[in-house]
Amino acid sequence: GKVPASSILASAPSDKNLDAWRESGCRTTHCNLEVLQESTLVFLATKPHILPGVLQEIRPAVGPHHIVVSLAAGVTLQTLQRFLPAGTKVLRLMPNLPCVVQAGAMVFARGSGAGDGEAALLKNLLSSCGLCEEVPESYINIHTGLSGSGVAYVYLFAEALAEGAVKMGMPSGLASRIAAQTLLGAAKMMLETGEHPAKLRGDVCTPGGTTIHALHQLEKGALRATVMNAVEVATNRACSVAKD
Amino acid sequence: MSVGFIGAGQLAFALARGFTAAGVLAAHKITASSPDTDLPTVSGLRKMGVNFTVSNKDTVKSSDVLFLAVKPPIIPFILEEVGPDIEARHIVVSCAAGVTISSIEKKLSTFCPTPKVIRCMTNTPVIVREGATVYATGTHADVEDGKLLEQLMASVGFCTEVEEDLIDAVTGLSGSGPAYAFTALDALADGGVKMGLPRRLAVRLGAQALLGAAKMLLESEQHPGQLKDNVCSPGGATIHALHFLESGGFRSLLINAVEASCIRTRELQHLADQEKISPAAIKKTLLDKVKLESPSLSVASASKVSLFTNRSTSSKKN
Repeated sequence: GKVPASSILASAPSDKNLDAWRESGCRTTHCNLEVLQESTLVFLATKPHILPGVLQEIRPAVGPHHIVVSLAAGVTLQTLQRFLPAGTKVLRLMPNLPCVVQAGAMVFARGSGAGDGEAALLKNLLSSCGLCEEVPESYINIHTGLSGSGVAYVYLFAEALAEGAVKMGMPSGLASRIAAQTLLGAAKMMLETGEHPAKLRGDVCTPGGTTIHALHQLEKGALRATVMNAVEVATNRACSVAKD
Repeated sequence: MSVGFIGAGQLAFALARGFTAAGVLAAHKITASSPDTDLPTVSGLRKMGVNFTVSNKDTVKSSDVLFLAVKPPIIPFILEEVGPDIEARHIVVSCAAGVTISSIEKKLSTFCPTPKVIRCMTNTPVIVREGATVYATGTHADVEDGKLLEQLMASVGFCTEVEEDLIDAVTGLSGSGPAYAFTALDALADGGVKMGLPRRLAVRLGAQALLGAAKMLLESEQHPGQLKDNVCSPGGATIHALHFLESGGFRSLLINAVEASCIRTRELQHLADQEKISPAAIKKTLLDKVKLESPSLSVASASKVSLFTNRSTSSKKN
């Protein structure tokens, strides 16, 4: 409820996706320049390879009052600033999928033209979608490996948990819901208590009990190293994709 | 108070050294005995000023607190031998891994109606007064007897009372623990040498690093995971190294080790209780000695020896 739908204008070359916007009460157009003329805060949400063309198109209409936020993966602030007028307030944002349910994890970095005011505005606005933190641009690829792709790791883990339960005799629908709630609850405890996950893990382990036996299995499978590998690989991939 | 050690090996030596260094006991108040005078630790004990004798009976007579510091399979022979000399005033402290209080009480009760028995599990760093000791008191040992032992052992490190059924786990963790640490230190030193350090320096630095880390943990309220994080700067050397440890299953190896040691302790106890142990497992000289002192205990040359009769497997009373 931070921004009324009527204050949101979205543009796209075709109507393919615009219906959904109109249904939520937003205005739509096929003209990118119109978005620049009608809006102060402009999000660039195209695929990365399309962006340079779009930037060249809108450049004449970009003024000192505009705040331009790019969501394009791999397109650096340097690139964005090169295509736009000098001094334009540019920021780069990397969200993740659960923004859709307002439980996203987002990071953003400022370009040279963007100041404290713009950063605060963006952070304030985006907090409605989840956790939003300002970072140096170099962290953005790490965020991709950790949280952008990370969502998929969690889905994989949840599926495996449920599968284990099914093997032990529980129906899959129920197992899936409980697996999801378990992850949600554990994550909530981490965020709300601020305690180190190692300590929270220890709190669950009664001596000689079920949990410590299970954890031993996870350690035997070198789960920690495997997860570290995943984050590393995804981050490196984000870096190399950006270079192309 | 005088203290006696049946057995004059590594454990007796470490404890005697620790007690005297801590000043809780003068060397001349300590007696140690063993039939084997060739042990390297025997001369060490003598040099300390400890009274050394080949007679276990003499040790018992001159002690208030009697440590049984022999290997587990020897315990029943010792108990047979010195049983008649055990009085109600004695506090018998067994340090033998896997040997239960009830098995000792059972054996001694044929000689003394209410023997005070305490079972303890310590470790070798008592020698430098950084031991880790736990104890459980037997049926006839009072709170004061436990406290007396605790005071003695606290002078050489950490000491706390536990339920007897935890002692095997303690064996796996802190009993065997120093061996895990020595292995790690040897390997760490190898790493240092590989990267160019002279061996002596590598060993010294590796040991100091572990000592310092352990001290930090003991003095901190923080979880070791948090302390680890504090060392790992983002993208730095340490986190890269840790990734290697995780890839190798470092954590699970350590869990496996503690588990294996604990399980083996229980196995040995089980073997001792339920089955018979071959005399080949016990040094010939000791057997001969025992035969001489206790003609009632006969050992057939080819057959096996029954260690305990009618023993129960129950542990300490709850």
